[in-house]
Amino acid sequence: MSDKIVNRFVEGLLRGQSTERARPDDFEAEQMKTAIELRAARLGSDAPSEDFVSDLHRRLAAEMAEEQVPVSHPRWAPRGTRRQVVIGGSVAAASAAAGLVVGRNLLASGEALQGATQAQGELTPNAGTWRSVGASVDLPEGGALAFDLGSVNGFVHRADAKLEAVSGVCTHQGCKLWLDAPESRLRCPCHSTSFSLEGATVTHQLPVAPPPLPKFQVREINGVIEVFAPTKSV
Amino acid sequence: MSRPKGGLQPVTGAAYPNWDAVYRDNVTWVYRLMYGKVGNQPDAEDLTAEVFMTALRPLRVSATVPEVRKYLRMTARTVLASYWKDRMGREVTSIEGDVPEVIEPESFASDAPDKVRSLLQGLPDNYRRILELRFLQAFSVREAASQMGVTVANAKVLQYRALRMAAQSDEEATP
Repeated sequence: MSDKIVNRFVEGLLRGQSTERARPDDFEAEQMKTAIELRAARLGSDAPSEDFVSDLHRRLAAEMAEEQVPVSHPRWAPRGTRRQVVIGGSVAAASAAAGLVVGRNLLASGEALQGATQAQGELTPNAGTWRSVGASVDLPEGGALAFDLGSVNGFVHRADAKLEAVSGVCTHQGCKLWLDAPESRLRCPCHSTSFSLEGATVTHQLPVAPPPLPKFQVREINGVIEVFAPTKSV
Repeated sequence: MSRPKGGLQPVTGAAYPNWDAVYRDNVTWVYRLMYGKVGNQPDAEDLTAEVFMTALRPLRVSATVPEVRKYLRMTARTVLASYWKDRMGREVTSIEGDVPEVIEPESFASDAPDKVRSLLQGLPDNYRRILELRFLQAFSVREAASQMGVTVANAKVLQYRALRMAAQSDEEATP
């Protein structure tokens, strides 16, 4: 056996390692190609890992959000792969690496980081009215209240003397969320996704994090809490 | 996302609402495509990331779903070509450019299993066996050797020769 280039390549391939640099001739390259075809035909080996899919999603979210900031910054070098970038020292590398860290620590570090990944929309119907969802006295500081107006449902909560209301429907597949008051979480019965009372995605077990919950406009008038909701159909 | 003003939007000629939807809908096939071309997870992940990092930014929002998929595929083709150029100084594998009709992502996936099956069937028994054990069933050389009742050194030689023969017939099969 004399062909070190091919042997090295095949050993790396069978160990699942990244391809190393080499300069194969025609026939060596042909053997590499055949080896790749054989390896890729192994059952169940070609699905992307969930970690990778959600991790890349976060890096892209950071990248796309950065786009809107009117500050000059080095563009993501298209040739730079994740591994190279983490080692490299440029500003772009630093932000990309930060994105990677955010991804890995999602469950541990809570909603502040998560909120940055996807914009939280506001639920604004084409035609809406202010509709009462409860009395002010029923919602103490730190508390949360569920409401159901037929066309929409959700949760309103009071924090730092301010009111906030979010949709009560999971952004993944539309299951109705329930209020886990002791934990201050909105939980989805379908796939164990949970949101903060502010609507940020806190935990999930899906390949890609579901978007945050849309917010309602909410106000308090004469001891009544009101949410801006679609006008009742007649 | 902006709300349509004055009336409903038709669903036909569907476009993606945003980059997020583009990603969700296409990440799996792009990864599979790349994996089939490089055969290892770390590189397939890096290349998939590069495709989306490169492609999403300049993507027109109004592009239709087939247009987006075609564009992603073209981007993947370029990304893979420069990867091989860097690693091997030549394109070991490539993504065909002129796919006449890009319909469903699944059709991208691959005809690899069929191709590999017929490739293996054309080999002598012990050659086919060693390649199956090593590449398809993830046996170590040692395990494969004991499975086949040969020495480890023998198994290595078998694997080496089998791959050479497979590559030769692969080359002949590919125009």
